[in-house]
Amino acid sequence: MQPELETRGTRTDKGWRDHDGFVGRRQPGTGPRSDPRGDFPTGPDVGDAMPDVRCVTADATPFDLHAHRAGRPAVFIFYRSAVW
Amino acid sequence: MRDFDAADIRVYALSYDEADALRDFRAAHGITYTLLSDPDSDVIRSFGILNTLIDPNDHPWYGIPYPGAIVVSAEGAVTHKFFDNNLAVRAGPEQLLRAALARPHGRGPSLPIGGSFAGAKLLRRTRLGQPMPEPRADRAAPQEVRVSVALDGNHLAPMVQRDLVVRFSVPEGRHVYAEPAPQGSVALEVTLDGSDRLVQRPIVRPASQPHTLEATGESFRVHHDVFELRLPLAVNGASPSDAAEITISGEVRWQCCDDEVCDVPTSQRFELALPVSEPPAHALRNSRGATVEPNAMAHFQRMSERRRGSG
Repeated sequence: MQPELETRGTRTDKGWRDHDGFVGRRQPGTGPRSDPRGDFPTGPDVGDAMPDVRCVTADATPFDLHAHRAGRPAVFIFYRSAVW
Repeated sequence: MRDFDAADIRVYALSYDEADALRDFRAAHGITYTLLSDPDSDVIRSFGILNTLIDPNDHPWYGIPYPGAIVVSAEGAVTHKFFDNNLAVRAGPEQLLRAALARPHGRGPSLPIGGSFAGAKLLRRTRLGQPMPEPRADRAAPQEVRVSVALDGNHLAPMVQRDLVVRFSVPEGRHVYAEPAPQGSVALEVTLDGSDRLVQRPIVRPASQPHTLEATGESFRVHHDVFELRLPLAVNGASPSDAAEITISGEVRWQCCDDEVCDVPTSQRFELALPVSEPPAHALRNSRGATVEPNAMAHFQRMSERRRGSG
């Protein structure tokens, strides 16, 4: 699924304003403001098993989601960056 | 996080940042949930949510996901997902907590919301960080529908969604019409007055039940008992100098009946004044332009260089 790029925006004296009214330095449809328009992929469906997640933590230690949550419910957040 | 910890719900947040950048971010903001590092976007790709609208040579932006949140049950199943077309709109903590506490199928437990008021015409004010006022004593007659309107949370923030909750309590033996209402009748509806500062997403409605009149055999859909509609809202922060308070107003309409008699349709206006906080923290700069994580620019430069090198 390759979604369409959302490019609606207007330039204001405070920056670029997107169609929902959020204002930022970058023009909608570029770089970190590459929003999808219409359908876009959101991972496993509701009702599916949560896939394995194996990566490292902030402490650079190995991480395995299902082992770490150990039978507890969880909220798993994907976000763009903690740096910018 | 205290509420998540108290409910024994784990919280994880994954990004394509390096682990050392996450350590600095965690320290700068006192984060207690688990930050995960996926610098080559392997996990992001495995979920199929890499933002492919970004050119692979567009450094350092290439590698980010379509941001969102997935709620996982104790058994390991996906029970709720929160993704928005606008990458600036994020599920709020109360939304995630309600979802994680709810049973995967059917209705979740009845939970107290941040505050409520009956009568729905009185302007209530709260201050940031303070709980919503206690609900007013409800003076509705026993056979009347009771409606309360409140925010789940005690303030609104740019980007962060919180739900305006409209809670109905319908007397036993009576019902309110759901869509589609029988001809000539009014289905339950909530509308907000337009505001260019509010970003509103589709209303989350409770499941309606089928109902058949014994006398005529007529069938339609209704709501009974106690139920909620949730209106996800965020403020857009279009103008950071805007007043630190926003007034939300709107109208609730319904028609209540039993199997023999229908009340006339009712509409009730509501109005709430809510505090608006600063946008969520950024590492590079906050809304006033100040750097809040001292190494953020160095991390940003290293991230860009590494990606150029590997691209």
